[in-house]
Amino acid sequence: MKYFQTNESILFGLLVLLCIFLSFYNPQFYSIQNIHSILRSSSTVMIVAFGMTILLTSGEVDLSVGALMSFVTVIVMDVINITGSISLGLIAVFGFCLLIGLINGLVRTVLNVNSLIATLAMMLILQGSVYVYSMAAIYNTHLIPLFSFIGQGFFLNIPMPVVIMLFILPFFVVLLNYTRYGRYFSSIGSNPDAAKLSGINNNRYKVLGFVITSLLVGVSGVILASLMDTGQQGSAKGFELIVIAAVLLGGTSFMGGKGTIIGTILGILILKIIDNGIILMRIPQEFQLIVPGFILILAVYFDGIRKKNSG
Amino acid sequence: MNNILKYLRKGELALFIIFLIVFIIFSFSSEYFFTLRNIMNVSGQLSIILIAAIGFSVLLIAGEVDISIGSLLAFVSLPLIEIMNITGSVPLGIILCLIFGIIIGLINGYLSVYLGVSSLIVTLGMLFILRGAVYLYTGQRAIPDELMSDFFFYIGNGKFMGTIPYAAIIGLVILLIFIFVMRNTSYGRKLYAVGGNQEVARLAGYNIKLLKLSAFVICSFLSSISAIILASRIGSANHVAGDLFEFQVVAAVVLGGVSLAGGIGSLTGAAIGVLILSVISNGLGLLNIDTQWQLVVNGVIIIIAVGFDELKRNR
Repeated sequence: MKYFQTNESILFGLLVLLCIFLSFYNPQFYSIQNIHSILRSSSTVMIVAFGMTILLTSGEVDLSVGALMSFVTVIVMDVINITGSISLGLIAVFGFCLLIGLINGLVRTVLNVNSLIATLAMMLILQGSVYVYSMAAIYNTHLIPLFSFIGQGFFLNIPMPVVIMLFILPFFVVLLNYTRYGRYFSSIGSNPDAAKLSGINNNRYKVLGFVITSLLVGVSGVILASLMDTGQQGSAKGFELIVIAAVLLGGTSFMGGKGTIIGTILGILILKIIDNGIILMRIPQEFQLIVPGFILILAVYFDGIRKKNSG
Repeated sequence: MNNILKYLRKGELALFIIFLIVFIIFSFSSEYFFTLRNIMNVSGQLSIILIAAIGFSVLLIAGEVDISIGSLLAFVSLPLIEIMNITGSVPLGIILCLIFGIIIGLINGYLSVYLGVSSLIVTLGMLFILRGAVYLYTGQRAIPDELMSDFFFYIGNGKFMGTIPYAAIIGLVILLIFIFVMRNTSYGRKLYAVGGNQEVARLAGYNIKLLKLSAFVICSFLSSISAIILASRIGSANHVAGDLFEFQVVAAVVLGGVSLAGGIGSLTGAAIGVLILSVISNGLGLLNIDTQWQLVVNGVIIIIAVGFDELKRNR
């Protein structure tokens, strides 16, 4: 329980209340299909959010994740269609993501461009160049069963995206909580000068943060392509805002310095269950935009009050 | 010439030279570019971004940010078009549209300044809320302007003496007013002080909260004027209007040298930033280069411009 800080207990309480409320409202909430669909759609967000948590903790942000993810769905589908090999498709995707992450990181550290602007520019570049790469959506013509399995399959009755997410999760919990590297990221975010003076190479860790985030986008993008069975140029539009909203809701600060993976997971589950509840309660789907907006503002507001009260 | 140069500070001069270079390149590569017709066209189009960028710069200078302006653009055009359709009065629609804009600015400002939630988060939330509200109200269809008033049509499409678009005149007047306010009034200097060093501003006895709140209202108010021009141009309240608008504005303003950290930058610079990006997109369009390449070019230019700026500052 010691990992549950105050903020996380509040989020957890909110999550439980939501689940109880929804199950009274509509018993279908606890049906296996529904839980699977919540978990499946949460896991693509979570995978990227692990990286975003690290970035925000170190005081940086990446707005290009949505555009990169759309690009990944196109690349993976196209390369596998042409070569007929999943491994080549994955190599192409991760090579590309590595490159983009490096560029983001180097523009931030070498050119010293604010990451909000650097990754905004990268977002524009990717959104444009994905259409240069291919004007039309790329359909699955290779029909390799293993590829569909990545997004649509089950392992021990658990959806594969969740399995992949659970496989990645421990690395980040250990990284942030049990290694000095986790503390490096948060000290870079909370006090860059102090971090530098104590011998940490700030820039190296910042580049690493961008590369990790881009690679995770690669993972999520492959899952998304498999789920949709197509590579679409605009498939993950606006994804960056959802990820950032969820991470902030989970208690990570935009000013850097603090953040936990558990908070991030709770933040995503809350947003996704609200999404799901809006569908189950047959409320107009437009509320899927409105409600998270309110929750985001409220959560950060209460967080501020609590901090003030505790001194 | 000296008088003009006096008004351009070093960074602005560099930007202006970039603008001239871009301008000259396009003049040589497209025969349609350097024609009165095209230049007037561009000036009408860019005024939508320019007016919002002025408000956005004022807010950035005061040390806060508002990324909900794209959704606001779509949101405030609803009362504008609906009231016009119902009452048949254009002024009433415009007034209501501006009032809605001011109210949203007050909400954004109150939550950020008085309740102390980071403005990035408040306006990120507002971005979702307003866009959702627009979808909900419109059922994701555009609401057409049924009044078809000439006056309303002219705001975005009319031309003074048949050459200069009214939209460009509105943009220029607003720009000059706010350049004067930010440069020559104590209110403007206070905004710089608040954004540059809040602690010093507090010790100097300024009402920081009220100053910041006013900057939020200016930003939303000016974005609402952009919304009116846009609605007039497209002849409807469109539910997807202003999508990615906030990013376009941020890009132009930061390219123009306004710092995200607050307290640094000028409206002249921001306006040149808008000019450069608009001229590039127009020029590329005339050269039949696809819109997707325009995105790529814009992204690269932003990185290069801001990167050079930083390198220069660090030296």
